[in-house]
Amino acid sequence: MKNKLNEMIIQAEKSIMSCKTYNDVLDVKAKYLGKKSDFNDLMQELKNLPNEEKPLFGKLINEAKQEISKLIDEKREELEKSKINDLLKAQAIDISLPGRDFTLGHKHVLTKTVEEIEDIFVGLGYEIKEGPEIESDLYNFEMLNLPKDHPAREMQDSFYITEEILMRTHTSPVQVRSLLANAERKPMKIICPGVVYRKDDDDQTHSHQFMQVEALVVDELTTLADLKGTLLLIAKKLFGENREIRLRPSYFPFTEPSVEVDVSCFKCNGKGCSMCKSTGWIEILGAGMVNNNVLQAAGYDPMKYQGFALGMGIERIAMLKYGIEDIRLLYTNDLRFNSQF
Amino acid sequence: MKISLNWLNTYFKNKLDGFDLVKKFNLMSQEVSSFEKLLDINGLVIGHVKSMEKHENADKLNVCQVDVGNEILQIICGAPNVDVNQKVIVAKVGAVLPGDFKIKKAKIRGVESFGMICSLQELGIQEFDSDEKGIYVLESDASCGENPLQYLGLDDFVLELDLTANRSDLLSYRGVAYDVACMLDLDIEFRKVKVDREPKENPVSIYTQTKDSSVYYGQVLEGVKVKDSPYWLKSRLIASGIRPINNVVDITNYVMLEYGQPLHAFDYEKIKSDRIIVREAITGEKITTLDGEERTLLDGDIVITDGEKPIALAGVMGGLDTEIDNSSTTILLESAIFNPVKVRKTANRLNLKSESSSRFEKGIDYQETLNALNYACSLLVELADAKVIGNPSFYNNINSKKKTIKLSLDKINSITGYAFTVEVVEDIFRRLRFSYKYRNDQYIITVPSRRPMDSYQDIIEEIVRINGYDKIPVSLPITPTQGGLNHKQSVIRQIRNYFVGKGLSETKTYSLVSLELATLFDQEESETIRILNPLTKEREYLRHSILPSLMGVLSYNKARKIDDVLLFEIANTYFKNGEKLKLAALISGKINNSTWQKMNCEIDFYYIKGLLETLFKELGITEYSFELSKETLPQLHPGISALVKVNDQVCGFLGKIHPETEIKIGLKDIFVMEIDLSNILNRNQTNVLGYKEISKYPSVNRDLAIWLDKNISAKEVVSVIKEVGNKTLNSVEIFDVYYDEEKSNLKSIALSLEFSSFDRTLETKEVDNQINKITDALNNKLNAKLRG
Repeated sequence: MKNKLNEMIIQAEKSIMSCKTYNDVLDVKAKYLGKKSDFNDLMQELKNLPNEEKPLFGKLINEAKQEISKLIDEKREELEKSKINDLLKAQAIDISLPGRDFTLGHKHVLTKTVEEIEDIFVGLGYEIKEGPEIESDLYNFEMLNLPKDHPAREMQDSFYITEEILMRTHTSPVQVRSLLANAERKPMKIICPGVVYRKDDDDQTHSHQFMQVEALVVDELTTLADLKGTLLLIAKKLFGENREIRLRPSYFPFTEPSVEVDVSCFKCNGKGCSMCKSTGWIEILGAGMVNNNVLQAAGYDPMKYQGFALGMGIERIAMLKYGIEDIRLLYTNDLRFNSQF
Repeated sequence: MKISLNWLNTYFKNKLDGFDLVKKFNLMSQEVSSFEKLLDINGLVIGHVKSMEKHENADKLNVCQVDVGNEILQIICGAPNVDVNQKVIVAKVGAVLPGDFKIKKAKIRGVESFGMICSLQELGIQEFDSDEKGIYVLESDASCGENPLQYLGLDDFVLELDLTANRSDLLSYRGVAYDVACMLDLDIEFRKVKVDREPKENPVSIYTQTKDSSVYYGQVLEGVKVKDSPYWLKSRLIASGIRPINNVVDITNYVMLEYGQPLHAFDYEKIKSDRIIVREAITGEKITTLDGEERTLLDGDIVITDGEKPIALAGVMGGLDTEIDNSSTTILLESAIFNPVKVRKTANRLNLKSESSSRFEKGIDYQETLNALNYACSLLVELADAKVIGNPSFYNNINSKKKTIKLSLDKINSITGYAFTVEVVEDIFRRLRFSYKYRNDQYIITVPSRRPMDSYQDIIEEIVRINGYDKIPVSLPITPTQGGLNHKQSVIRQIRNYFVGKGLSETKTYSLVSLELATLFDQEESETIRILNPLTKEREYLRHSILPSLMGVLSYNKARKIDDVLLFEIANTYFKNGEKLKLAALISGKINNSTWQKMNCEIDFYYIKGLLETLFKELGITEYSFELSKETLPQLHPGISALVKVNDQVCGFLGKIHPETEIKIGLKDIFVMEIDLSNILNRNQTNVLGYKEISKYPSVNRDLAIWLDKNISAKEVVSVIKEVGNKTLNSVEIFDVYYDEEKSNLKSIALSLEFSSFDRTLETKEVDNQINKITDALNNKLNAKLRG
């Protein structure tokens, strides 16, 4: 009987192994474990055995049944898995084909640059102030230490609307307005971004309309060293952590001392290249300590209050950052250009 | 200002290192715009023409044997003025002349030539000699084999400074010398001027009738011989960017460069009186200036007169009638100061900017007015055989009281953030040659007339630049302030981000447009603002709307075969009553358009409307509506456009561009919107924050399709439904509109209604009741029938 059982297990294993489909497995299962299976015959034989042998053979039969049942389960699992695998194989796609196209718009590169600068200054505790583009001569020039006959006015040939009203030539009048509005003389740290106008013919490097960001700090303590530190920080944020700056004497009516600010060339790292005209330095902005006449015009006591101002052309910064060589590209709005930013 | 290094060197014991000077100027003074050799030519020697014979095969060529010191060169020369015994400039084989003209060994019609005899023009010098006809012939004392540029004083370097408006002191060599001496800490040696005067009375008398001339010196000189200036003088003028003319004019220019004081020379014999009167011009008065132009004067101009009529435009240009010519022998030399503003205005109006006028405009050091005159006199004696007749006549109303400025060390340090010491500051004062006293912890600095200064800030500027900006430490402002974007700025960024996310690209267009464009898409039709002095007609008016510019951008891109153009811009528009920040968008073509896996969407009215509605949702704006109105713009399709209202106020419009316009520009299906943002940005922000409660129970959805008159708007249908629906009616959404050709006056609208309750799951019966009520109402009020 024991031999018979072993023979059955071997037979069952063989037929299980040869199963190709799930149905084959069910047939095998019916044959060996169903109501009319060989085991039923053995169970009948068991009844005829002497009582003392029954438990042993009963156990052997059960074990054989379990063994076969296990083999059937395993086979079934294997077949299920391969069925799913076949399905997956059939469903596979070419993932190298492109994804669907979601049109994404683009911010203008000048906006991106302004926002970048705004974010740097906001992080330093500056507020953003705005003002009108149509300005009075008083705010645009006179209160900025540029009286009517000042020769430096010629540096900024302007679009006039009346003799006293013009398109602002810089965002400095916003500084004047902000100083005037600060009746409590609270420490002030502001930046003034915006559109400005100068009477220049449009060419590769000039635009009659362009953008500026100016910063102004006025309190009782701010020094030239604070200006230098702020400039260094901005240069690093805009052009990379390894940048250095250099200040050179300059002149603006609204600041004194006034400086031009150069940043070490970010293309050649100061070795000298076409971008920096072999000097290793690139001029990026103008700055200085607020001229006492400006403070005084806004009602501040220059013996008590002091501070700095700086101003940069957004176009210049954007052109330097992205290597744009013609300022007119910024106002042509060719979508092949605009969509690169 | 162009500076000859040779000339500058004359003020110092040792020659200056030009490249070091450039560095110093850049970091401590003024930007150097260029520094280069006046003439960058090697291989030039002085040659002596030993013999000359006609070229056997060419009439106009001569074969010269030229001694160049260490050898005799055979050189063929075509110049008509070449002759035996001349000292000439020879460019040897290997020399490269301007224009990349390489001198090579050559065979000209069978005869060999080893170099070229040059004119100065060939070396790049124009008009060194007033009557140069061919090659340049040197004086006989030139020695063979030496460098002709050195002999002529043309072996020079030129340093050009970009002067800022506060450094007019650098418009003179003496001013530059002071600055160089300060930067390099050197001693300056200025030449002592001595004038030999004839013991006679200066015949001219000088008067003024205007406050616009504070000082005027006039000196008569006799026996003047007008001729060419010597080499050294010509060369220095050329290096300084001034064309030599004759000795008298050259001397006035030379002295102007040296002192910064412009001079003018009159032919004294041509002046009709011996009185010079400086006065304001009378409007309508005329003078013919040196350039031959007749100028009509205004009463702001200052003129030099002979007592009757103008003989010069003060500080701007002399008169033709009293011009120095080759036969002039008696001259009147003027050294004076005129009101800078008046000179500038006159020079600007008449377009007569010159080296003189630009110096007057920027202010003259009154302490040099007489010195300059005297130096010119001494040069005229030396170089033009002039006799100086007595002492100069003059008036001098200068208030020469010296200005002082007070400044403490504490102030210097509290402004700069650097720890200057007394020693450092005083050493800088010494180098600047500023005289000062120290009293009550303060320096009292006497402002020199050569460096006008207004306040202690000017002095601090000098101290910092001489000490070096590199020494200033770096720190950040320490006063605490709170930064950030305000509500308006945040919303503008939000709007930009929204549109970018929706596939629109931002543009930047010009505010100034043509008259035609300035008023298009203008809801208010108010007056435009015009620029008084526009550059072109295209940039003459301030725009009322951004859309004309966006239409331009559309055309530009369509012309470049870009089919899908989706644009927006946020910019100011300009009205008599102020500026308005507007948002404009223009869309044309398809969105999400790619050839692969098409999921593109044709743009129509509902697309741009949805774009705006979703923006309103994003911004939390709920009180908006769209109205078909006769008042929308003529540029828009009258049946496919609407006014946009927020809080019941019109704030913009949207719609399709009028077909007529579309045909005109050859494009179609353009949809635009423009919204005045002022209303939106200034909305009350103190809305109590909160949220809308959501029901725990499931909602019930019912669809409803009706037929109704084509002209009844969807808005009316929705409002009827909302009117009769009870509070369980959550929302009404339209999901389809359908037209049937056979029912031409009808349309079908399909709606989806959602019902729910906060306290129970709704029963079918309840919802049925609601639907019945709603369909009844639609039938009664709008004659709408349920679609079968």
